[in-house]
Amino acid sequence: MFKAMLIKEFQLVSRDKHALAALFIMPCVFILIMSLALKDVFNEQKAMMSLLVLDQANNSHSVQLLSDLEKNSVINTERLQQVEANVDRLGKQFLLTIPEGYGEQSDVILQAQVAADVTQNMLLLFNAQIMQIVVQKKLIDVNTQLSDVALKIGMPTPEVIEFSQHKIINSHYSLLADNQKPTSTQQSVPSWIVFGLFFVIIPMSTIFINERKQNTLMRLSAMNITIPVLFAGKIIPYLFINQLQVWLMIAVGVFVVPYFGADALTIGDSLLALIALSFSLSLAAIGLSILIATSVDSIEQGTTIGGILNILLGAIGGIMVPKFVMPAFMQDLANISPMSWGLEGYLELFLRQGGFAEIINEMVALTSFGVITLIIAAIIFKIKMRKIA
Amino acid sequence: MIKIDKLCKSYGDNTVLDELCLSVQAGSIFGLLGPNGAGKTTLISILNGLTNYDSGDVLFFGLPLSSHLTEIRQRCSLIPQSLAFYENLSVIENLNFFAGVQKIKGQQRNNNIDYAIEINSLNSMLKQKSGTLSGGQKRRLNIAIGLLNNPDVLFFDEPTVGIDPQSRNEILTTIQQFKADNKAVLYTSHYMPEIEKICDQVAIINAGKIIKQGDISSMLATNGGQVTIELYETEKQYLKTCCSLCPQLSIIAPTTLLLAVNDADSIHHVLQLLAQQSVKVKQINYATTNLESLFINLTSEGR
Repeated sequence: MFKAMLIKEFQLVSRDKHALAALFIMPCVFILIMSLALKDVFNEQKAMMSLLVLDQANNSHSVQLLSDLEKNSVINTERLQQVEANVDRLGKQFLLTIPEGYGEQSDVILQAQVAADVTQNMLLLFNAQIMQIVVQKKLIDVNTQLSDVALKIGMPTPEVIEFSQHKIINSHYSLLADNQKPTSTQQSVPSWIVFGLFFVIIPMSTIFINERKQNTLMRLSAMNITIPVLFAGKIIPYLFINQLQVWLMIAVGVFVVPYFGADALTIGDSLLALIALSFSLSLAAIGLSILIATSVDSIEQGTTIGGILNILLGAIGGIMVPKFVMPAFMQDLANISPMSWGLEGYLELFLRQGGFAEIINEMVALTSFGVITLIIAAIIFKIKMRKIA
Repeated sequence: MIKIDKLCKSYGDNTVLDELCLSVQAGSIFGLLGPNGAGKTTLISILNGLTNYDSGDVLFFGLPLSSHLTEIRQRCSLIPQSLAFYENLSVIENLNFFAGVQKIKGQQRNNNIDYAIEINSLNSMLKQKSGTLSGGQKRRLNIAIGLLNNPDVLFFDEPTVGIDPQSRNEILTTIQQFKADNKAVLYTSHYMPEIEKICDQVAIINAGKIIKQGDISSMLATNGGQVTIELYETEKQYLKTCCSLCPQLSIIAPTTLLLAVNDADSIHHVLQLLAQQSVKVKQINYATTNLESLFINLTSEGR
């Protein structure tokens, strides 16, 4: 009996081109695009900010400043030849004007125009970089002056005051090896795996609602097929379909993304924990999908409600926007989304090199969610089947 | 095969089946007629274990339905009015699926599938996607699925809805074959000619009660001939007056009365009545009762 139900479900899904696209192609494309789009965010050798500089001072101080800016790896500096009214029209993030008299008159300071789409964090980083360059230059000047004075009065050469990061602080990712750094791929792949799994709502609601409308479910009931068996006949094939999705997306992260210049995905050491988490997440996704499929009355309702719910759960759960950029109350709100639990689980494995012990809470939450949604779905289904009969 | 005794079913205050009694024998086709809302579908649902009933006895093969549902279902089959199969699967894939879920295995499975294909003439379309079949072919597939467990009892719920006369005839011929195979068939339909054609016994059900039951020929003979009296359009205001004066009359059309009679005196009495009321008669027809007129007569508002 189960064999017949599994074969039927696989046959139906494999012939639904829209479902195949939503389940397999869309998440893989998302992973590729987002990994490539964000790859420079994690690259410390890559400039993050675009800067135009207008030198109105034309003195040794402004020339030195320009030279230091061009050597800075965080800022991509270009020189501007003439005055422009608005940095937003120039397609850059910052426009720095070095006014006449800079470095010669103490009341002349640098002027920066900032584009409208620059975030506060980006502005803080820009200001910090400019401050560092200017302070470093002034320290060099102070060192030179101190050396000259010491020479004149016959004192030993004073110690050079340095302002370089490696002489002040050493920062490292606690859970990663010294030569290991987080990458956009490590951040993106878990998000889109979670999002992709929940898209089983589309084929599941289509098939389920068609079965109800055409009375195929009623026919199966008359053939002694009970609700648990009916549900199991849907859960098992979709568990397998979800696992295919997971491993396909991991393969994209490991093999395809590097081909386009981004870092390859690493999946950590605990393969069993990864498989167990994937099954728990799959059960949660399938439970929610069956609940929606039994609750709605048409395919259009199922795909609309399922699609909207997926996007909302994804937005709340930190899929579209990382949780760490959300305000505190939104980060708390994220905890209601099963997508958030799944994402945390995968990040624990991929990013923090965790194992079973670290993901047990997420697995319990996801499995419980799946079971509860399936129970509610069974109750709703039973009531609806009675009305049809 | 099936014995129903004083079956009752209500939904709240609405009595759907009211002490209904009938029996269906092996090797017979039993027709169930009734207007919409009469209780036919509820009865079929109860007999298939899809709905519970409030009281009464329902026996299949001598076994109570309430305590032997699983066992009884293995020997019964429902062919629903809707086309209950998967349109994205081919004919053979559908047959394999439904055979599989009923745990029919091995040689028996092959034999049952072959029989279902053969008797429904599906040989030439096994690999065709079910959604691309014609209306008649889909109906035949619907029936074929119902034969996979080689049932002793078959429930047909309006199996010829929406198909052309030729396909209908083919399906009726197939159903008649089941009688020859000693199966019991319970058949519901709104289409009287096909009930007359294939059914041995008929029950007319209305408001949850069986108002007439028996073999068709006896029922028609008992109810004898009938007279239809058509009035002119200008005389139709007399229709209700005539019915109130003569209880044997019923209104069957906007200008037509039906007199279900079996004697000349009644006809004479009615014609006298019409003459006394100075009602102008357009046409009078006499014919033997058919099932449709009997059904209308028994269930119409004029009674």
